[in-house]
Amino acid sequence: MTATLAAAPHTRWRGTDFATQVLVLTQRSLRTLVSDPRMIVFSILQPLIMLTLFSQIFASIANTPGFPRGVAYIDYLMPAILVNTAMQSALQAGVGLVTDMKNGVLARFRSLPIRLGSVLVARSLSDLVRTAAQLVLMLLFAVVIFGFAPAGGVVGMTAALALALAVGWGLGWIFLAVAAWLRNAELMQTVGFLAMFPLMFASSAYVPVAGLPGWLQAVANVNPLTYAVDAARALALAHPVTGVVGALVTSAALAVVGWVFAVRGFRRPL
Amino acid sequence: MNDLMIEASDVGKAFGAQKALDGVGIAVPKGTVLGLLGHNGAGKTTLVNVLTTMLPPDAGTARVAGFDVVRQAHQVRSRIGLTGQFAAVDEGLSGLDNLVLIARLLGASPREARARGTELLELFGLSDAAKRPSRTYSGGMRRRLDLAASLVGHPEVIFLDEPTTGLDPASRLGLWEIVENLVTDGTTVLLTTQYLDEADRLADSITVLAQGKVVAAGTSAELKAQVGQRSVTVTLADASDVPKAQEALERAGMQPVPALDTLTAPVASSRELAVVVRALDEVGLEATELALGEPTLDDVYLTLAAHAA
Repeated sequence: MTATLAAAPHTRWRGTDFATQVLVLTQRSLRTLVSDPRMIVFSILQPLIMLTLFSQIFASIANTPGFPRGVAYIDYLMPAILVNTAMQSALQAGVGLVTDMKNGVLARFRSLPIRLGSVLVARSLSDLVRTAAQLVLMLLFAVVIFGFAPAGGVVGMTAALALALAVGWGLGWIFLAVAAWLRNAELMQTVGFLAMFPLMFASSAYVPVAGLPGWLQAVANVNPLTYAVDAARALALAHPVTGVVGALVTSAALAVVGWVFAVRGFRRPL
Repeated sequence: MNDLMIEASDVGKAFGAQKALDGVGIAVPKGTVLGLLGHNGAGKTTLVNVLTTMLPPDAGTARVAGFDVVRQAHQVRSRIGLTGQFAAVDEGLSGLDNLVLIARLLGASPREARARGTELLELFGLSDAAKRPSRTYSGGMRRRLDLAASLVGHPEVIFLDEPTTGLDPASRLGLWEIVENLVTDGTTVLLTTQYLDEADRLADSITVLAQGKVVAAGTSAELKAQVGQRSVTVTLADASDVPKAQEALERAGMQPVPALDTLTAPVASSRELAVVVRALDEVGLEATELALGEPTLDDVYLTLAAHAA
């Protein structure tokens, strides 16, 4: 071996700015995603199964009183499926962070002259891209196979998708914070599932709130998901839009809170 | 001009009631290797974590490459390389992409990063596996990639935390050669190890840690002189002659310890070899082998650790 490992004449690289760090790290996450696309495929299987089952099982709900008149159940259901998929994806962001920590490459990042926050932002950005890909795939399935054709048309669908993406992104920061503190993927999956499963059902996602038992109505009315789903639905169905601003502001607030705790948790030694 | 690349004085770190480091001080001059010797839980990794800015110390100060590890962590990180006990590589990325990633984060342009990555893969004999995901690498390859990753930025100081744990003998030897080359090039190395032969071979000076404290420091020869004794080992052709030989040596004033077909006795100097030969000759015995043994670092470590406990 020639002895040119370290002392070869060289100029020392003097570090990079935050934006470059985020860019490089985001590319890295996306590259692992592309090299192993099973993650995307499997992550849309569950919402796809839900879409299939619910659109068949609950189709008769469209005939019940309280259901918006003249709306097909698939058109009612799909915006909720989009929000649900985005939420599952948010949980995956946290799981991804834990995997990174276990991977060992994070130990390397910690010894480099970079800002650790860039690792989190990169994780969040790459998950945003992944979620967008998932949602677009879901939307295509819904349109082609299940006849999703809401009154809002392509614009409405796109707006609903964008809203779901924003909600998932904000919630993703909460899960990044949880991941940075818990540092345990199995625990995260369990806690996340336990939290999200009832939240989805005790909301306006699958049936109108008016159709729920009284006590569940009370829960649904304070469930932030109800508002997120209602807003996405209003966009898709071209109903008078209320709550979109609220949903966006809530998502942004979640992101800020998540960011603060994620950075603090992430700085703790491995 | 201060040419100490690592200086730590009175460094303390506790995890709850457990004192991981208790008043540790080390000094490593530029271009030398310090071997940090100790068993599991002695505080080796904690000290490495403090020196590499991963863990703030509770007490004391530490400077690496002239910068304070707490107040100037960023400057320290720009000048060090770290290879921990577990390969810190991205298993989803290829070997080349791993190195390019590190170079880019250090501020290299895409072109420079590629050039540096290719160069290092070649030096570490990984060129053939450059494009393969690193999760398909063997343990030895992964360790080499990890070491390559810690060298991307031409660090002035390298920390190797038990770099050969779990490696096969050939990979271990290869890694030793790499470390020796780095030192020839002027890099300063701090190496933690449980393997005494590793410290003996690579380190210019050795610090022994036990229960978070420095229990001994010096060159390998100094440590051996401190606790160890030379000994002579006599191998006899016929094992049944061992008692007879033992008697003869005892008459000559030695304290031989018998084994299967050998006798081992502590000696003060190599001159006593003649005493052994004469004593055996008097009873009509001949040694098939006569060996003068230096004390090993095992002796050093066992003695010191026993004192500390």
